[in-house]
Amino acid sequence: MAKPDPSLMVVGLNHHTTPVEVREKLAFSDGMLHHALPRLVEAPGIQEGAIISTCNRVEVVTWTHDPPQASRHIKTFLAQEQGLPLRLFEAHLYTHTDREAVRHVFRVASSLDSLVVGEPQILGQIKDAYSASASLGTLGTVLHRWFHKAFSVAKRVRSETAIAAKPVSVSSVAVELACRIFDQLTDKTAMVIGVGEMSQQAIRQLRARAIGTLLITNRTFQRAVELASTCAGTVVPFEQFPRQLHLADVVIGSAGGSAYHLTPERVHEALQERKRRPMFLIDLGVPRNFDPRLNDLENVFVYDIDDLEQIVADHKGERELEARKAEAIVSQEVEAFWQWYASRDISPTIVALRQKAEAVRQREVEKTLAGLKDCSPETRRAIEGLSASLMNKLLHPPIGYLKHRTRNGNAEDGATSVTAVRQMFGLDDDQD
Amino acid sequence: MEIVLLTSTLVFYLLSTVGFLLALVSPQQLFGRIAPGLLLVACATHGGAIMVRSLSVGYIAVTNPYEAVSFFTWITSGLFLLVQWRSSLTVLGAVVSPIGFVLTLGVFVLYTQARALPPALQSSWLPVHVTLAFLGNAVFCVAFFASLIYVFQEKRLKGKKIGGVLRHLPSLETLDKLNYRSLSWGFPLLTLGIVSGAVWARHAWGHFWIWEPRPILSLVSWVLYAFLLHYRSFGWRGRRAATLTIVCFAVLLVSFLGAQLLPGRHGGEFG
Repeated sequence: MAKPDPSLMVVGLNHHTTPVEVREKLAFSDGMLHHALPRLVEAPGIQEGAIISTCNRVEVVTWTHDPPQASRHIKTFLAQEQGLPLRLFEAHLYTHTDREAVRHVFRVASSLDSLVVGEPQILGQIKDAYSASASLGTLGTVLHRWFHKAFSVAKRVRSETAIAAKPVSVSSVAVELACRIFDQLTDKTAMVIGVGEMSQQAIRQLRARAIGTLLITNRTFQRAVELASTCAGTVVPFEQFPRQLHLADVVIGSAGGSAYHLTPERVHEALQERKRRPMFLIDLGVPRNFDPRLNDLENVFVYDIDDLEQIVADHKGERELEARKAEAIVSQEVEAFWQWYASRDISPTIVALRQKAEAVRQREVEKTLAGLKDCSPETRRAIEGLSASLMNKLLHPPIGYLKHRTRNGNAEDGATSVTAVRQMFGLDDDQD
Repeated sequence: MEIVLLTSTLVFYLLSTVGFLLALVSPQQLFGRIAPGLLLVACATHGGAIMVRSLSVGYIAVTNPYEAVSFFTWITSGLFLLVQWRSSLTVLGAVVSPIGFVLTLGVFVLYTQARALPPALQSSWLPVHVTLAFLGNAVFCVAFFASLIYVFQEKRLKGKKIGGVLRHLPSLETLDKLNYRSLSWGFPLLTLGIVSGAVWARHAWGHFWIWEPRPILSLVSWVLYAFLLHYRSFGWRGRRAATLTIVCFAVLLVSFLGAQLLPGRHGGEFG
């Protein structure tokens, strides 16, 4: 039975194929990886290995000399490491080999396979997976190169496309808009009316942009105090917030109620008190908290939830367009990596072929020259040149054939060609 | 030599225009780094052309429409570069480079041979008055473009249209600050320009003030800018301040360009 060819392989599952209740059971913690990775590469047929484990995916990346055996082993390995029956997740598993495996890893690193296309966290998670495997010595030349190439592809995608240029959540869009109005947020004051989930998300975004002062107000005072304690905010009693409105550069409303909390008259007073410095009002409430007529006031900008969701939808659409450009970059890079991967097998064969031909040439030239009496230096140079030219012309077709088969065919084609050339020219023989 | 330098200037204004526009539409940050360099080269060659002309005539070359437009273009581009260097406002470069290119094209149309300076203008007040006046105009030009971008950006934000080029624009606050800072620098320069012009007029023609279109329009601009600065200190900001800045600059531009064509001592051949 013929020996299987070496392969690049990814076996795993992700958010496209697997429900979260299964994914969470298969996730590896850092501690588990420390024990699992050495066991992964102990298996016969697996030369190098790494595990990518995030909340959306668990994937085993390997270079194997025996793909069928390695695939079986990885499935059993996952079941054993997590203490789960294989049937629980086997149907969700996918296997990619060779070019498709390379493409998959490049797409994952470039965030093209993410739940939110273009999100930046995945690259950091893959770098962590790489570092863990590298520190445990489970990577060799192939996986080192594969991962480094994945990092550079992700970087290229990020710099040559606008895939991550625009935010795609309501709260991040709101804060992004605030940055279109204000130079920076570090010296600004935000007032949050209401303590719902939307307010909390907006507060997280404001904190991430280092907002200067955070004022929190809510009908139920105690809930405002609780939220303020988690985000270093200052509580303003609900009845008093209109009197402190002039302090706020950004006002976020997500409180309930049927009446508008902010009216043009109230904001006009606040504007006069703050010498007409701009105010950005973000209305996250349904029904709305702020009177839409506020947008008619000079230096006041009002965005409601529909406006923000429309912007989010536009941004998602633009990310999809950028993702197409990114796919083209990934395809280019897959081919570049594949050429390296395929040619690393033929290089020794080409070198051996040249060495053998050169040895034969030199021996035959010496024999010929020994038979010629009174040979002039010009004649000697002519014979040397003729023999070298003949050798190069004869070697050109087999070397071209090897390169063509490895670059354009699959790994099996490449290996078959290498074997054929080695046998044909007796490169593995001890004698000529 | 002067023409060679002016031609190089034209080419580099064009290249920097392309660079700045690409910086606005492309995610590649490379263009944003290259474009100011190209504008700097344009400024250097333009400065060289003005210096060659000034050395050949023996006075600061600003005494006819060709020289005046060339000098104004150069000083404005230089000032924009300074603002760009301090604030990294790529969008300002995208405005000034094409204008630099168009005005330099105009300079070729207006080109005249160098000639001797009329006796009335042979005064040490010439470089003082001209430098102050042109520098003031260039600073107001910065305020004008900052205001123009402000009005555009504000309209888009009010209209909830935030896509396209808007994401490359500076924040409203940055533009408003730039406007105010430019006005604060430009107003004293304009004032000193008018005062030095009056002193020079006294030396040249025996009167501090001449009722001609150019000085009158300059005075109107001065009053408008004084009004604007006064109200800014009382809290005028945003769109209202930006709109008045645009109006003020329009009057200033009329006084600068229109006066070249209108009769009087500033008209046609300066002096």
